[in-house]
Amino acid sequence: MTSTVQAAPAMTGTPEVHRGFWALGWRRLKRDKVAMISLVVVGAFLALAVAGWFNIIGDGWRKEVAIPYAAPSWLMQSAEETLPPAEEDTTSAKSSAPIVTMTQAEDPIGKEVALARQNMGKYASVETPLRETLPFGADLRGRDVIVKTIKGTSTSVFVGIFGALFTLLLGTVLGAISGYFGGKVDDFLNWFYSVFTSVPDMLLLLSFAAVAGRGIKTIIIVMALTSWTGTYRLVRAEYLKLKNREFVQAASAIGASDARRIFVHILPNISHLLLVQFSLLTVSLIKYEAILSFLGFGVGVTQVSLGSMLAEAPAELVQGVWWQMVAVTIAMSLLVTAFSLLIDGLRDAFDPKANK
Amino acid sequence: MFAYIVRRVLQMIPTLFGVMLLVFVLFNVFGGDPSLVLAGKHLTAESLANIRAQLGLDKSQSAQFLIFVKQVLTLDFGTSWSTQQPVSDIIGSRIGPSLLLTGSMLVVDLLIAIPLAATVAYFRRGLTDRIVTICCTIAMSVSALVYIIAGQYWLAYKFGWFPVSGWSASAWHNLWYYVPLPMLMGLMVSLGPDIRFYRSFFIEELGNDYVRTARAKGLSERVVMLKHVLRNALIPVVTTVMMSLPYLLIGALVLETFFSIPGMGNAVVLAVNNSDFPIIKAITVYIALATMVFNLLADLIYKLIDPRVQLT
Amino acid sequence: MNQQVQQDTLLSIRNLNVRFKQEDAEPFHALKSINLDIPKNATVALVGESGSGKSVTSMAIMQLLPQMQTLIDPASQILFEGRNLLDVHGAELRRLRGKDIAMIFQEPMSSLNPVFTVGDQIVETLMLHAKLSRSAAAKRALELLIEVGLPDPEKKIKAYPHELSGGQQQRVMIAIAIACEPKLLIADEPTTALDVTIQKQILELIAKLQAKRGMSVLFITHDLGLVGEFADKVVVMRHGEIREAGDVQQIFENPQNAYTKALLACRPQLEQRPLRLPVIDDFMKPGGFVSAGERQRGYQADDEIVLDVQGLAKSFDIRQGLFGKKQFHAVKDVSFKLARGKTLGIVGESGSGKTTVGLTLVRLHQATGGKALFEGKDLLAMSPKEFHAYKRRIQIIFQNPYASLNPRFTVEQILAEPMMLHGIGNNAAERQKMAQELLDRVGLPARSLVKYPHEFSGGQRQRIAIARCLTMKPEVLICDESVSALDVSVQAQVLNLLQDLQDEFKLSYLFISHDLAVVKHISDQVLVMNKGEVVEQGDSDAIYRQPKESYTRRLLDSIPQGWTGGTPALA
Repeated sequence: MTSTVQAAPAMTGTPEVHRGFWALGWRRLKRDKVAMISLVVVGAFLALAVAGWFNIIGDGWRKEVAIPYAAPSWLMQSAEETLPPAEEDTTSAKSSAPIVTMTQAEDPIGKEVALARQNMGKYASVETPLRETLPFGADLRGRDVIVKTIKGTSTSVFVGIFGALFTLLLGTVLGAISGYFGGKVDDFLNWFYSVFTSVPDMLLLLSFAAVAGRGIKTIIIVMALTSWTGTYRLVRAEYLKLKNREFVQAASAIGASDARRIFVHILPNISHLLLVQFSLLTVSLIKYEAILSFLGFGVGVTQVSLGSMLAEAPAELVQGVWWQMVAVTIAMSLLVTAFSLLIDGLRDAFDPKANK
Repeated sequence: MFAYIVRRVLQMIPTLFGVMLLVFVLFNVFGGDPSLVLAGKHLTAESLANIRAQLGLDKSQSAQFLIFVKQVLTLDFGTSWSTQQPVSDIIGSRIGPSLLLTGSMLVVDLLIAIPLAATVAYFRRGLTDRIVTICCTIAMSVSALVYIIAGQYWLAYKFGWFPVSGWSASAWHNLWYYVPLPMLMGLMVSLGPDIRFYRSFFIEELGNDYVRTARAKGLSERVVMLKHVLRNALIPVVTTVMMSLPYLLIGALVLETFFSIPGMGNAVVLAVNNSDFPIIKAITVYIALATMVFNLLADLIYKLIDPRVQLT
Repeated sequence: MNQQVQQDTLLSIRNLNVRFKQEDAEPFHALKSINLDIPKNATVALVGESGSGKSVTSMAIMQLLPQMQTLIDPASQILFEGRNLLDVHGAELRRLRGKDIAMIFQEPMSSLNPVFTVGDQIVETLMLHAKLSRSAAAKRALELLIEVGLPDPEKKIKAYPHELSGGQQQRVMIAIAIACEPKLLIADEPTTALDVTIQKQILELIAKLQAKRGMSVLFITHDLGLVGEFADKVVVMRHGEIREAGDVQQIFENPQNAYTKALLACRPQLEQRPLRLPVIDDFMKPGGFVSAGERQRGYQADDEIVLDVQGLAKSFDIRQGLFGKKQFHAVKDVSFKLARGKTLGIVGESGSGKTTVGLTLVRLHQATGGKALFEGKDLLAMSPKEFHAYKRRIQIIFQNPYASLNPRFTVEQILAEPMMLHGIGNNAAERQKMAQELLDRVGLPARSLVKYPHEFSGGQRQRIAIARCLTMKPEVLICDESVSALDVSVQAQVLNLLQDLQDEFKLSYLFISHDLAVVKHISDQVLVMNKGEVVEQGDSDAIYRQPKESYTRRLLDSIPQGWTGGTPALA
């Protein structure tokens, strides 16, 4: 009977903490400062987006609270000192004093006019005056750019994430079946794949959009139907590779069923790839949504997204109004940059050989 | 080799059939009835019936599909619903501008991205590498729309360095006058991801054993990089470039729309706006066909540059 | 070779201290102040198991270690012709590499650049160091290829690396290395990846070149038995230290260090078959190793036959031409009987089909012909559902311990799974208890249950794989090159474990390997396979003592003899 053997070199002296794959990766990620900062930023955006979905913030984006194209307050600081403040105007009586040429008794409709004047106070709507400036300015209809940006980001993130989820689901299931079973199923799905990849992405997107119309639900489905191919190819290649690995063959030898091998054995081994893929898809779909909405095919007219806001930009710029575009650019660039840097960090953390 | 080509061409047929099926199902089944749109101002029951008969909409779905197949095989997609021009004329006139724009963009992109990627991969893990990678990431995070809008506004409108939009009849004039601004905007979008992508190829090659052998032979780092690694890394680079060629035909959709360039992309956007199905269908089928042909070419070129490849 | 003339020293390593940076631990101390001398015109064998530091030593000489992670102590010296190589940089270093000191590696396929022809790669070295013109270099390259014994050199010089076999690729690597008449040739495990017959040829080639050119050779290997025939000096390393160094005769006939003795003893021998193979720990004990007697092997007439294989065949389809298919016959008509409680060894080189036999019997491949009778029923003809019930009775252990355990499962999950699938144990607690007992049986501590595979060494992982099979209490165990990827000392431990289990549970083994000595040690009967066919079959002692077929004899001749005393004749 053999005695206990030597431990693997790195183990001697370390305390008994057993790290699985995810724990190891997480430790590696924590060491990457850029990735951690990006994680925080992305997390903040996600929190913002969720708040927006449930209308905790950004709910009142449609309210027209300022004059059209109100400038940002920090821009107008100096201007305010030189211009006199606008006067409040609750009744129209003062400025619209009528020119009197007849006495009330002579006036054929004198009685009605007197009655109307009495009731004027009752029916006049108390309007809060439209503001001259907002923290980051207003758009064409006087809506607050900040609130609109928050809501727009929320919509774009929503579309990006759920689109990515659907795409991932579709691509993974098809890729797993194709890679694992091979044969005729693989041939059929490959044919399907080649049909979809023969048509360039934008063309396919626009074709779908042409028949499907606008709206958030539609755009999510449309983007999933066009983007599944990348995930399919990745998952299929992984399943082809892992299907013949010894641990999967061993699972077969001990009697594990096909389903068990596909979901319990192989799938966990590609989960880190799926995470990276999910992030990539989210970023790509956010960008696509912007372009689609810009071209007029994305979210509906009653909804706002980063793309639809950008659609208003060219017209605004010509009139010298730039604040909405800057707000959108900052929001979107920050989100996508942070997400992309996070994706790089994830790749490095879970597959360190890939980038050496 | 010949057997391989024949087999691949035969494989293209079911794929093309699939594309046609997809296009048909999309537009004829889901697309709704276009006869109302086409009847326009002259909407009477009679004209409606006439139009439907003309378009073959009164026949069964499968009969319509056969008509579509015939159209594809004879390369005649009828006339555009919005402009009444023959579709083939439209496509024919628009390929040129698209190719001019995307072709020049591809060339400049390669000339910049590959040397830069090789240099960055050489200094990997150093400060230069980190900085360039982050810059590329930031550059690709700004939406194409922002680049275009800002570029058009500042560089063309405000500073007047480039024309705001437009196109002319002379290819030469186009190349030097109208192409630069859209090309610049396109490069801002594409250089970032391309540099990162090519960089990963170089880094992967640098991790291979033959690099160690080359160093053991006494070759300088420069020779190792420029002779041994580059030659191997070119394989995936060329493959990637070949695979992206079909996309040149569709043109840069967004660029063409903004800069009023009469290319294929612009045609698609207009057609989608106008629900002009013949154009969309035709362009989709043509592009699909071109993609398949280019993929085959890519595989053949791959065989030429990588001696390990066996075409089965 | 074995000349007794007083030599000058060509290369002298003094106090070489190398550490590697690690992610979140102390730097790993790879070499602990080692001292090594390489005389002129001699072959020095550097022997050690994995992790001993032998490769690190050789790479340090030419500064091929990864710069970012390597920390070399400034007091370390590698003296070559009066200079400290560790201080040499830039152009001077490059002149040294390939010209004065040349190196060949373990994997010739990946060490050659796949996109350049073989000739171009030799010419490159010649043009760089010997400053020849391209045409002169091409001529010289051809001469070199002839010298290294590459068949068909005029044609092969224009071939790409992937078009050559492993042995031919290694010859090309050797040609590149000797092209500029180096004074020192470093060979880092050059034959480990090659078949045993090819290995012999390459070793003879290196010995011949060494004698002809009077260069020194630093030969690195994990196999002590390999070096006895052609080394002048032997250096034994373990855990970054040199345990023993001396003349080859002294090391083999009179080893001083316990580890050296252990290394020599724990390889299975052809001449004897101890009850248990000695392991390192046996020699580290104060009393030293005491031999326990021999084991007799062979089939008896009254042995119960548990598995009867008749005419097993397996072909693969390869596409050819436009629509045609070619058949590759991996296994052609293999028949044998496996007796209960005994071991049948299948031995052959790569491509012989031995692994395919194993995989087909557990139905990981679909057999194209033949029967496998188990309790009278044909395992190959059953439906998958029927076969499921038999799966627990015939199990397989794979070669690669790093790939046979699911990286995301804990050891407990790995062991519990087969129990769950076959309804063994009524609940999780029972299964855990059984898993613990099995771990104990294979020599692993109970707390291994919560660990992940990557926390174990290769030998430990094979034990877990064995434990996994044992959970189902199988009757037949197929060992597909199960010890081939392990170090010699670890291999001995696992072989002893397998033998203990066979004695206790009356398991029947089908032991597949390319290593003839191991097969002879553990098998009662042996099957010799070549290109899918059975060449010879019989009791293991009989085959090894009196091989009938020429192929078997060639195989046996290729086994490294170890030290045989005196100057053996070169082939």
